[in-house]
Amino acid sequence: MSTLAIAAASLRRTLRDRVALFFIVALPIIAILVVGATIQGATDIKVAATEGRGQLAESLLNEIERTDGLTVVVRPDEQAARESLRRGEVQAAVLVPDDLGEVLRSGATVDIPVLTTAATESEQAALAAVRAAVAEHATPLQAAVFAADQAGGTPASRLELARQLRAATPSVELRAEAVNADRGILPAGFSYSAPTMLVLLVFINAVAGGSTMVENRKLGIYQRALAGPVLPRQLVLGETMFYGSMALLQSGLIVAVGAVLFGVNWGDPLAATVLVLLWALVGTGAGMLSGTLFRTPEQASAIGPPIGIAFGMLGGCMWPLELVPPALRAAGHATPHAWAVDSWTVLLAQDGGLVDIAVPLTVLAAFAVVLLAAAVHRMRRALV
Amino acid sequence: MNPPTTLLIAAKDLRQRFRDRSALVLVFVAPLALAVLISLAFGSAQRFHADIAVVDNDGGPVAEAFTGMLRGEQLRDVLTVHPVADEATARERVDSGELGAAFVLPEGLSNAARGERVPDIAVLTSVDASVSALVANSVGEAFVAQLNADVLSVNTALAAGVPPQRAAELAREAAGSSLPEQVRPEPSGTKQVEVSSYYAPAMGILFMLFTIGFGARGWFSERDSGTLDRIAVAPLRPGSLLVGKALATFGYGVASLSTVAVVTSLALGADWGPPPAAGAIIVVMALSLVPLTALVIAVSTTQRQAEGIAATVTFGLALVGGNFVFLSTAPPLLRTIAMLTPNGWALRALTDLSSGAPWTSIGVPILAILAFCVVTAGAALLLARRRVTR
Repeated sequence: MSTLAIAAASLRRTLRDRVALFFIVALPIIAILVVGATIQGATDIKVAATEGRGQLAESLLNEIERTDGLTVVVRPDEQAARESLRRGEVQAAVLVPDDLGEVLRSGATVDIPVLTTAATESEQAALAAVRAAVAEHATPLQAAVFAADQAGGTPASRLELARQLRAATPSVELRAEAVNADRGILPAGFSYSAPTMLVLLVFINAVAGGSTMVENRKLGIYQRALAGPVLPRQLVLGETMFYGSMALLQSGLIVAVGAVLFGVNWGDPLAATVLVLLWALVGTGAGMLSGTLFRTPEQASAIGPPIGIAFGMLGGCMWPLELVPPALRAAGHATPHAWAVDSWTVLLAQDGGLVDIAVPLTVLAAFAVVLLAAAVHRMRRALV
Repeated sequence: MNPPTTLLIAAKDLRQRFRDRSALVLVFVAPLALAVLISLAFGSAQRFHADIAVVDNDGGPVAEAFTGMLRGEQLRDVLTVHPVADEATARERVDSGELGAAFVLPEGLSNAARGERVPDIAVLTSVDASVSALVANSVGEAFVAQLNADVLSVNTALAAGVPPQRAAELAREAAGSSLPEQVRPEPSGTKQVEVSSYYAPAMGILFMLFTIGFGARGWFSERDSGTLDRIAVAPLRPGSLLVGKALATFGYGVASLSTVAVVTSLALGADWGPPPAAGAIIVVMALSLVPLTALVIAVSTTQRQAEGIAATVTFGLALVGGNFVFLSTAPPLLRTIAMLTPNGWALRALTDLSSGAPWTSIGVPILAILAFCVVTAGAALLLARRRVTR
């Protein structure tokens, strides 16, 4: 009974704190939104393009826009396109010449400048994609020039004929096929940000929440409680239940918000539940350990978040670990976060079940046991 | 106002904070550690190069032209071509990650040049190598576009009235034509903001924002311990105390972000742009912390509340202002909302500088941050006055 009373008292105190509610409720929603929207944009290759003039410039932009995985941002002029490129908002800038239409209709060749800043992956991809789209666009133009050359007339007058014949002319096509389409990574967007923010924020909140325990200790609340008919064991258990319920409460909220507001499908319900429970235990252990390790509440709330953010970065909560060098990916697995994110990847991207995440779950369980054991040991030593 | 007293108060506050190890961690160690972590994560993601396989089941001139194009001048730095005997081997090597992508050229592909229908060219890709996949697809598309254009050219010429007996001659001539629109890659002459040059200031500013909490907490703990009352009875003007504390917050902010700037520039090669311009941004950003801290104090009644509100302000500004995410890839709406925060403006100014924008580009950000200062200072004053008169 005392155990429950202790847990309930701490829980009541936290839930009455409007600021704590911000961290438990509002922060995850904002974080899922911001990180999800940004990650979504990060995987798309974007190019800026100046508008150009006339119908051929328009059809060229349409052709570029049709490329899968490529987004076109139309900018009013060259300067604006260059600015987007410099800020990293796009990977290349296509400067459509103003006289594109006139030159092409006269039968001459047009060079279309495509600006890039470096030979990075995404810039090469942008350049190659633009090249393909331009070639596709130029196909009927070449035919029109050729026909005008051979049969008379102007390229402009032969363009319509070339376009009409295009559908009927046999053409070589490409057929893209992913050899390992069944092996998914977390899809970009909210399906990435919702589970990773759950992992990140439950942990950060727990570690920063250690300050409550430090404060209790400083105020002598534990000592006073022990003066009553309360055993140290009950006190420890009560605190554990408090941290555990806080972590579960927040996880539940994030799962609900993710599903309702952001349309996230959390995968196999049983596996997801076990994963959420285990992660709550890891958070509980980390939170209680922070409560016993730090000497002042300031320390807990000052050092907790940076540690949580650093672990989150290492563990793939801020960006997919597929993006980082293999050594850092391996190092990241020293944090529980990486194992949790791996598990969510299996559940969300590969339709996996409990059996498929047995290994990461075991590792997480080990983390939880070690953290909880250390926390309970330290707390009992402080109390008895 | 008595300057020495103000400075004395500021110096005392700063001394006190620097003695507190958690403050040192938060303001110097944490941003540097995270900046190092981020540059480790993204430092090597630079030049693109892919190994591509070609399975040639055609053996004709078109296949030869295709392989020649892949090995050509334009793609030499980007692709390395490996001949592979059969499709199964190519699949295996793409799946294992050994190859970025593979082309399987079908039997009879070269008949396409004569206008015959031929099977598709398969592009085998891996979900783990999305950029290689996009590049391989695009390179393939560009090649078949030329091939298809040649066939279409012949058909169009025939339809336009060239006698059919000239078809073979037309095909030969068409094969020599080139597409009238060509991409001309050009270096833009500026640098693109690199991830490491973005996150160094982003992390620096994030932890600078934590200063708000320190300032607000300090105020209430001194009020609760009666220090403020005792100072009030000393022969001091009422403003000196406030100015002194504000100066401390400002000094602390400048020291924090300057340290991050100097260390990340020297150790990680992060680019902060010309030092005087970057310095100006650091100073106004630190200045914006002063009215923000005052506002938090004005709306709070207890130390606990002040801590909570400060943390809310810190995380809220950081999330919206782009300190956690690479804002350049965010949707335009988020980028616009970021411009409502001083940290968003400071980050934009610093990343603009690092990507080669002229130093004059800091004018608008500085004005925007100062405007934010005026608004928050006004709100803080208004609230403080209402509280006093109540």
